[in-house]
Amino acid sequence: MSKASLEATVDPEKVQGWITKIGSDSSAAVPLLQAIQSEYGYLPRKAMNLVLEGTEINASQLFGVATFYAQFRLDPVGRHMIKVCHGTACHVQGADRLNTSLRHALGIDDPKEDTAANGSYTIENVACIGCCSLAPVMLIDGEAFPNLKGADAQRHLVKHAKTKGEVLPGHTGDGDDQTDAKEK
Amino acid sequence: MSGDMVITMGEGTCGIAAGAPEVTKILKERFPEATFKAVGCIGMCHLEVMVEIESGGKSWLWGNVNKKNLPKIVRFHRGQGDLPEAMLIRSTDNTETERSQYLTRQTRIALRNVGELNPTSMEQFRARGGYSAFENIIKGGMTPEQVIEEVRVSSIRGRGGAGFPTAVKWGFARSAQGEPKYLVCNGDEGDPGAFMDRSLLEGDPHSVVEGMLIAAYAIGASKGYAYIRAEYPLALKHFAIALDDARQAGFLGHDILGSNFSFDIKIKEGAGAFVCGEETALLASIEGQRGMPRIRPPFPAIQGVFGKPTIINNVETLANIPWILKNGGAAYARIGTEKSRGTKVFALAGAVKRGGLVEVPMGMTIRQLLEEIGGGSASGRPLKAVQLGGPSGGCIPESLFDTIIDYDAINATGAIMGSGGMVVTDTKSCMVDLARFFLEFTQIESCGKCTFCRIGTLRMKELLTKICDGSGTLEDIDTLEELAQRVKDASLCGLGQTAPNPVLTTLKYFRDEYIAHVTEKRCPGGVCKGLITHTILQDKCTGCSICDRYCPVNAITGELKKPNTWVIDQKICINCGMCVEVCNPDAILAA
Ligand SMILES: Cc1cc2nc3c(=O)[nH]c(=O)nc-3n(C[C@H](O)[C@H](O)[C@H](O)COP(=O)(O)O)c2cc1C
Ligand code: FES
Repeated sequence: MSKASLEATVDPEKVQGWITKIGSDSSAAVPLLQAIQSEYGYLPRKAMNLVLEGTEINASQLFGVATFYAQFRLDPVGRHMIKVCHGTACHVQGADRLNTSLRHALGIDDPKEDTAANGSYTIENVACIGCCSLAPVMLIDGEAFPNLKGADAQRHLVKHAKTKGEVLPGHTGDGDDQTDAKEK
Repeated sequence: MSGDMVITMGEGTCGIAAGAPEVTKILKERFPEATFKAVGCIGMCHLEVMVEIESGGKSWLWGNVNKKNLPKIVRFHRGQGDLPEAMLIRSTDNTETERSQYLTRQTRIALRNVGELNPTSMEQFRARGGYSAFENIIKGGMTPEQVIEEVRVSSIRGRGGAGFPTAVKWGFARSAQGEPKYLVCNGDEGDPGAFMDRSLLEGDPHSVVEGMLIAAYAIGASKGYAYIRAEYPLALKHFAIALDDARQAGFLGHDILGSNFSFDIKIKEGAGAFVCGEETALLASIEGQRGMPRIRPPFPAIQGVFGKPTIINNVETLANIPWILKNGGAAYARIGTEKSRGTKVFALAGAVKRGGLVEVPMGMTIRQLLEEIGGGSASGRPLKAVQLGGPSGGCIPESLFDTIIDYDAINATGAIMGSGGMVVTDTKSCMVDLARFFLEFTQIESCGKCTFCRIGTLRMKELLTKICDGSGTLEDIDTLEELAQRVKDASLCGLGQTAPNPVLTTLKYFRDEYIAHVTEKRCPGGVCKGLITHTILQDKCTGCSICDRYCPVNAITGELKKPNTWVIDQKICINCGMCVEVCNPDAILAA
């Protein structure tokens, strides 16, 4: 499946609805982008253009804001989002291994890529989700998984994929046996 | 025995992450007659999921509860089984366990309600005396100047990091010209490793609202913003509920409680930029711009959001305010040390046994906090350092753990108190890697406005990466130190001015580790990938093949169930450590 197929279809009425609700002056830029991103998972170009047409916000402000804040992204995302915490507590407890293991399972080899080729999952690194005493932590579609090792991250992903009917394009280590990874 | 049963569940973000919803569901099936109460983070995150069960005038607090051990607790409460001691934290019978020291050694002022009430219940908040500090001010006819005076007597310093005296800041804004005035609550909490503000916002939002009300009254603000980071969905949700309920009860809006005072609060969701915690950047962000800091003066107190006088206070600072007004500034000032009064909340994480939220009086030593409350090392390996204050802070080595918790005493070590993140490391950590980690963070988060911060942090990161990779030289260490000093002196805002702190403190206390990296090409903590190798210990290997299955680069080969056939191809191995994690007999050595 090609990445282009992940492009969202933007409904102009929805965008107009947000403008009506949030406002059209320049202080509305951040919340408007947040509304768009929470709907589509990223900022589709078409939605950005509709904001420019319907508000006082100009292009340099809107794109300036969209590229400044870590939360916003301009490329489409996979059907599911994995957020791996890379805060201090998670880092010192081995958060890197979660990425290694998840990327392996998703078959993402190119370090510049963050989405599986079949569009199933996108991995994003985030800075501290505030569960530091349960580090390392990741979120899959908003659900948190604490105290992880690399292999645990992969097992949660395999389980998630099973319930959502997603195919993992990479290699997973768990084979048939889900219980043999070392206990904590 | 369960007729009058009340079951309290810790349902903060950490409780939920650890599996509280599932436990709640089962308990509701088993004890349909009980009353359930969901509270915020009790602070003992290391023991989540936590459940408190009260019945027959007694109570039991259980920790580490999960689907598997829950039946034991259920049987006990049905009078059909023994006390499952392994999960007990404390009870009214068997009052204290080693674990409950965690709570008894604390002094809870900012956290007074967190974990004690349902954060979405106005009724429970009122029952614990909520909004009465504010009511007393309005009904007792206290003037704004008198409120500021009470805060001055308390000597509280801002808990957002810099420690600026709160009353002084309020005084500036009170006398500043311009209408309307704004009061902003800084709930951005960008420091990785910190979660005090999250716990307060999600566990006791009304206390923050009440603190904002009192602050607004004191400075004469009519508009308020709560800037809360988007990564905290539960905090955003609970805060929004609190605002609605406060408005409904007449604590927000026009002519509050029949006085002439009007004030309302809007939530602004942060968008994931660390620098937006800095006050002038935060203001730009509220205005819908990129969060770029600007030169001060003019200070926000004189010219802030939309050009109007604005006060920005941290969540924890604000949560203390109602307590101070209710109990008097003098009562607060009696706690702590001469120059740092009151208590401080810390988010304890890393290599300690008991991590979580901790509120202690200033003046306690770091060692007492880590050992008596944190329970010491989790792994049994000696503790090495504690990282305080996030990217703006520094590392305090074990030899200085007798330092007291006090703004000045901590500054004297080269670290800073900061907002309260405390990440503890043991001997299996690398201080050069930690410094590299923070520089990578600040380099990404630098807004790029000033050259020293933009380029300086990048160069420092490159040098640190070189040292971690094993290609650094002694000269690089000197260059790094010199650069750090320059970035500190020449940056525009607090981000750049403090970014070198992790480098400077690790160089000061752990220089030998830097030297081992460059001269011996050795990482003493066994962390830096370029300097370690993974090998299979043949005498321990059972030939189970699990390492091979998890190896992401297929560097491991051997014959199933034949122990002496397994090897790691060093040319392929990326030293990711997956094999070490999964190996059951601990047969893989990383050194
Ligand atoms: C780079 C940077 C990041 C900051 N992040 C935060 C933050 O996340 N939360 C916070 O309350 N203060 C943060 N501060 C400090 C604020 O600028 C400000 O001093 C504080 O909110 C004032 O509140 P207080 O007087 O109650 O401490 C940060 C400062 C800098 C320089
Ligand atoms: S460091 Fe990962 S949750 Fe805070």
